[in-house]
This record gives sequence, structure tokens and C-alpha cells, in this order.
Amino acid sequence: MGEKRTTNRRQFLVNLWKIGGAVLVGAATYTAYEALRPFASGPSGGKLKLGAKADYEVGTATYYPEGRLYVTNAKGKLFALSQKCPHLGCEVPFCESSGRFECPCHGSVFDIAGEWVTGPSPRGMDRYPTAVEGAVVVVDTGTVEPGPDQGVHDYLTPPKGPSCQKGA
Amino acid sequence: MTDTPEVIDAPEVRDTTAALDALEPETATAATGLRARLHRSEVWRSAFRHPQLDTPRGRALQSFSNFFLHVYPVKVPKRVLKTRYSFRLGFIAAVLFGILLVTGVYLMFVYTPSPTAAYGNMQHLKTSVGFGQLIRNVHRWSAHLMVLVVILHLVRVFYAGAYKRPRQFNWVLGVVLLLITLGLSFTGYLLPWDQLSYWAVTVGTNLVHYVPVIGGTLQDLLIGGDQVGANTLLRFYALHVAVLPASLVLVLGVHIWRVRKDGFAVPRSEGGAAGAAGVGTFAEEATEQPADSALYSGRTRLLGVVDRESVTAEDRATDDTVFTWPHLVVRHVVVALGVVAVVLAMGVAFTAPLRGLANPNVTPEPSKAPWYFSALQELLSHFDPLVAGILVPSAIVLVLVLLPYIDRNPATEARNRKVAVLLFTGLLIVAVVLTVIGTFFRGPGWTFVTPWHHLYLEL
Repeated sequence: MGEKRTTNRRQFLVNLWKIGGAVLVGAATYTAYEALRPFASGPSGGKLKLGAKADYEVGTATYYPEGRLYVTNAKGKLFALSQKCPHLGCEVPFCESSGRFECPCHGSVFDIAGEWVTGPSPRGMDRYPTAVEGAVVVVDTGTVEPGPDQGVHDYLTPPKGPSCQKGA
Repeated sequence: MTDTPEVIDAPEVRDTTAALDALEPETATAATGLRARLHRSEVWRSAFRHPQLDTPRGRALQSFSNFFLHVYPVKVPKRVLKTRYSFRLGFIAAVLFGILLVTGVYLMFVYTPSPTAAYGNMQHLKTSVGFGQLIRNVHRWSAHLMVLVVILHLVRVFYAGAYKRPRQFNWVLGVVLLLITLGLSFTGYLLPWDQLSYWAVTVGTNLVHYVPVIGGTLQDLLIGGDQVGANTLLRFYALHVAVLPASLVLVLGVHIWRVRKDGFAVPRSEGGAAGAAGVGTFAEEATEQPADSALYSGRTRLLGVVDRESVTAEDRATDDTVFTWPHLVVRHVVVALGVVAVVLAMGVAFTAPLRGLANPNVTPEPSKAPWYFSALQELLSHFDPLVAGILVPSAIVLVLVLLPYIDRNPATEARNRKVAVLLFTGLLIVAVVLTVIGTFFRGPGWTFVTPWHHLYLEL
């Protein structure tokens, strides 16, 4: 009995050390998380008041660096498209000659509505909700709507001209 | 009482050198030159615990009593001296790490991890700091070389079958060291804060987003915001100069220690033994005892613990070992000098790239990852990011870690382990081909271009 009790006490203390160690590791991990956690996440978050609806002609894309977004007009419907490629985060420039968005990193191509055309991107370009308040187009950059799936081609039209990518 | 004055006046107590000579007869020489007197002085002897004697005992003492030589065993098998034994790749990687530490400290004196200052610091290094650009060049090329040499080291160890028992865990440590090396290189890549670094890191960190369930949180923690910015630069800097080097030093210490303790690898045929206990046999096989023997139970008394290597040495018919000091140490010094010469020459000949200031709104064409991630980037252009960016690299790391435990064949010679060699070689060829394509044959928009037409090479 005595021997058993001694063993139990030893085991108890060993377990106590283990629990203490686990608590310490947990505290260190949580502290690291707190130190690394970004203060603010997501896009800039505000509502951007842009131009009048009539300013956006069909088939054009207007860049707004303050929101890191494009406003495009596809067959008369306005879209606010995030500049960030859904693939790996590169900034997707608009190619005037082809009338499409062409990502320089891995070659993903999107149509004027941000729908996926080709390349490794898993979906179309992400969108922000747009509304027309009075005569002004307002984009809510606080809400990101994931881009349409690869199979969606509601606004797809043939390219206007040659691609901007030199090797293509 | 009457004896005391005699003791104090005793000449051997007054003359410390003579007293030490009496204690350490090896040091006492008839030479009276300045050097001999210096070596016999109290100060010298207090700093260097033993004289440098060119005798077997002296050479052994040299290793025993020198902190830096403790990293080596006192004696090594003669075959270790041959360059072809290991091509010195592990040692070269360690030398490169040393060069990176030294040049890195120089760079830290002139670097501020802030988007407003970092790029200016790079220009300042070039225009205002004596040898500043050279230091940066050497740091850059040493980093690339270190990644290359660590990979070659891994490949060499695989083909030598040196990851097998009893070195399994050291192989795992080696894989960890490779990952830390890649981490060091990748975190350092961002620090110049130019377009090249900014977009390579943007692409790299966006991969994390595809990790199932926790990807978004992980990416937030890594870059500290919704895009690469000031927070990213600061945390990459902390990782680059503190967390990762400290981890590397720790793991490298254990890695080298295990090289000593696990013994040096020798060729071993199928079946485990190349002959009777002796040359060609793994240390533990000559002496191996069941782990749970009756040693600690019953009435057996433990008289002493004999190291496996010691017993193996006794088993050998002839002594095929040589003293590490000076035979191996001299060779290492020569290799280290060679490595320093090579990176210095590279630093003089080639300037580390510095593109324009990082611009979060403009992605340069093309935007390539560093060469060691080119294979991954090539895969990413063909497959879903979850597959190419997460599953494939995770699987590769997992297989590498588990390799010594999966591969149960004890043979180390290639002809006796054809399946493993063929599989590994196949994967290696795929990785090399993908790397070459990604590095040399890809242009704007990741379109296929020939390097002789236009070379889009990013280093």
C-alpha cells in the first residue's frame, strides 16, 4: 500500500508538471496569436461614391486605385470587381486591346464582367455590391462577393483584339 | 609554524612556470625562444588547456580540450577524408550559413524593416556604404547556394542510403533543416521591398489561403492584414533574423551531434552485413542488444555502459581511423576557404537584383517565385491551388520525413534498392524539369517562352 501511495503521488506530480507545461505552451501560443493577429482585416471597408452611371460605357473598365477595384459595364450591367486575382492575389490589369482582364502571374483571363475565361484561377473575379444612389454609383467595399464559378459565362463575348501578354 | 616560511619561499611555488612544467611535463621544453616562453606562460596555459603536441595523445587532447573541436569526434574513419565520401555538402551548407550570419549582421546595421525605409536602405547600401553592395550580393548568393547545397546534401544522403538505421531521426532533422532553410530564404526575399520581392511573397503567402478550414486565419497571421504590407515586412524580418536562425542553430546542433553519435555511414549490402562484424557493418549491428533486456531487472548488475561505437572499434581487425585533428579539420578549413572565395567572386561578379519600389497596385510581368519554388509555381499554373500548392508539397514533405521508416530494406547500395532509387530519381527528374521550365521557359502571363529568345530569370 505504502509503495502504491508513493507511486501515485509521484505520478500526480508528474501529471502536474505536464499540465503546467501544457498551460505554458497554450499561453505562449495564444500570446503569439495575439501578437500576430492583424488589427483590421478585410478590404478598406467603406462605401465609395464613384461616377455617374452614364459615365461607364458598355465594354469599358474604369480603375479606382483608392478601392483597388474596377467598375465595368457588361452588356449594360455595372460590376465592381476586386483587382486581386482569386488565384494567388496578383493585381489583374485590364487589357484594352482584348477587352479582358489578364493576370500577369499565371495567365488567368477574365471577361469584362470578371467571369473566368481561362487559366488556373478557381473562379471569376471577386465582386463588391454596387448601387445607384441618386445619379452616383456607390460601391460597398466592406462586402466581398466571391466571383462566379468557372462555368458561368453570362457576359462572355469574343475578345476585341490581341492579348496584352507579350508571349501569348 | 616553522615550516610555513619555507613553503612560501619554495622556488617551485614562486616560479609558476616551473610548477606548471612539473604538472604538465608535455609542455616543458628546452626551447627558450619567445614562442616557447609564451606557450609555457601562465596566461597561455590558462587559455589553452593543453599544448599542441604532435603525438597521438596530443592530437586527442587537442580535440578533448577545444570547445570548437568538440563538434568532431576525436578520430574518424579514413574514408571520411575522401571528398567523394560526402562531397562535404553538409559542411559547405554550414559554412554558407556562417557566411549568411556574418553578412546578415552587417546588413542589420543599415536596415529598417519598414515599407518607407527598407527600399531606401537598399539604395543606401549601394551608394553610401563601403562594401555595402558587396555584402548584400554575398548574402544573396550565399542564400541561394545554401538552398541548393542543402538539397544536394539531401539527394546525396538518399543515394548513399545513409538515412537508414540508426540514422533515421537525423534524416528527419535534415528535412526540418531544409524547411527552415527555405523559410529563411523566403522571409529574406521580402526584405528589400522591391517589386520582385513584393509579388513573389504575395503569390507565396496567398497559397496559405488554400489550406482547408484554417487557411484564412493562417494567412492573416502570416501577413498581418489583407495584403502584404508593413505588418508583413515586420514579421518576416523577425522570423528572418531571430526565430528561424535560432531554430536552425538548435536543430543543426542536434543534427551534427547525431552525425557523431550515430556513426558514419558505410556501404551495406542486402541482408545487413558486408562481412563479419567489422568494416562494412553498421555500428549498432555488431553490438545491438534487445532494448528491453534483463539488464535492469532480476539480479543482473550494471557494471558500465559501453558506447556502441567503442565496441565496434574493438571489433575491427585493424584500426582504420585517423585523428580528426589535423586530418579532417585541415580539409574542412580548405573547403571553407574555397566556399568563401566562391561567394566573394560571385558577389563581385553579379549584383543582387533590385527592381523598382514595391507597388501594391501593379503586378510586374512576369511575376516569378524564387527558383526553388519555380516547380511549385509551374504546378500552380496547371492544377487547382489546393492540389498544387498545399497537397503536393505537404505530401512531398511527409514522404521525406517518413522515408526511413517506410523503406525497410537495409541495403544501402543502389543495385540492391532499385525501387527506392528509381522512384526517387523519377521524382527528382520531374522536380528538376518543372524548375527549369518555371525558371527559364516562362514569360509574361506565364506563357511559354524560350530563354534564348528572352530570358525572364528571377533570382
